[in-house]
Amino acid sequence: MEATIDFIKKVIDNLNGFGFPFLVFFLGVLEFSFGLYKNKWPKNERWVDIACFTLPRLILQPAIAYYTLHFLPYVFSDYKNIFTWVPFWWGFAIIAVADDLTQYWYHRLHHEIPWLWRFHRTHHSASYMGMAMASRQNAIYTLFFSQIYLTAALVYLGLGIPAIAVRLVKSTITTLAHSSIPWDKPFYQYKVLHPIAWVLERFISTPATHHAHHAATTDDGVGYYKGNFGNMFFLWDIIFGTALISRQYPKAYGISHYEGDQWYAQLLWPIFKSKVEGSELSAAGPTVRLDPEGEAVLANLNKAALQSKAKGPALEPSYHNH
Amino acid sequence: MKIEPAKKQRIIRNVILSLFIFLEPVALMYTSFLISGQRPWEKKAQKEVNTKSLTTKTDSNNGGND
Repeated sequence: MEATIDFIKKVIDNLNGFGFPFLVFFLGVLEFSFGLYKNKWPKNERWVDIACFTLPRLILQPAIAYYTLHFLPYVFSDYKNIFTWVPFWWGFAIIAVADDLTQYWYHRLHHEIPWLWRFHRTHHSASYMGMAMASRQNAIYTLFFSQIYLTAALVYLGLGIPAIAVRLVKSTITTLAHSSIPWDKPFYQYKVLHPIAWVLERFISTPATHHAHHAATTDDGVGYYKGNFGNMFFLWDIIFGTALISRQYPKAYGISHYEGDQWYAQLLWPIFKSKVEGSELSAAGPTVRLDPEGEAVLANLNKAALQSKAKGPALEPSYHNH
Repeated sequence: MKIEPAKKQRIIRNVILSLFIFLEPVALMYTSFLISGQRPWEKKAQKEVNTKSLTTKTDSNNGGND
């Protein structure tokens, strides 16, 4: 029995090590084979994607190694493996909720708190979906990926095997949600599959719901960059009222006012600034650049607030930022 | 640019709800133990006692040959 458990552990460990890069590579090859990028991968974007896929690993690996090998043993010296008694499925549930809900908040706050937006902007500047942009992030956003440290702490406390299992499931769901292969489409096309679709699209991130989050437009019935923040579980968006389910895919992705910031600015803002004038990543750029319709809404609301100042409380402005 | 007050309020409300969600799997696990009468943490403690070295730590190998 112990030999079987050891074997399963080794399989999970290998999948954890090689499974994710293999899945990304395999899907990437499929996407290119089907021509899903449709010549939407210009040179500048290629550099951003490649730099973001490779360079943050050089920062992140030493940071996690220091945290797990020095910080945790120093702070929790008497608590190593204290929770090894937790049954696998309970450990799985605890980590799945702790990890993914933490990431939901990390992600949502980067959209809703204006000064945080620029750390997450790189992930949204791609005008395409797929494996090429799935790892596209600002290095500082990646470094402070809060759930990595939470999960590492739970592993230290003895929940290592469930943590690896959650990571496998989560990587698969989030990778497939970013993919330009719409694997969920048959679930909407065939009526017999609709009940499964109903559960699936509320429970986990699908290409339809996550692509909507990456849309260039919002509030048009399909695109919704003001919500759909869930990574593995979409359930958080349902619970907190930040969900939009349309079963459709946006016509355009990215940021409407994006003009191709340099790869180094997208990777390492605020250390390096963009040379694109008016960009949110440039030295004199705005914290959040509003879309034209957002500016109009804001102007109208400000006008209404001024007019009603004497009568009562001002209206809350609602602007459109990604 | 500051965060809108309405948005701020919604975030605070949702964060409070999240704290309960974070605790939910742990609470459910202990409830299941309470119902089934299982006490897996005791098993672990027992196992540790059973596997404890019988060799005294006074020898030169410090119990390393167990």
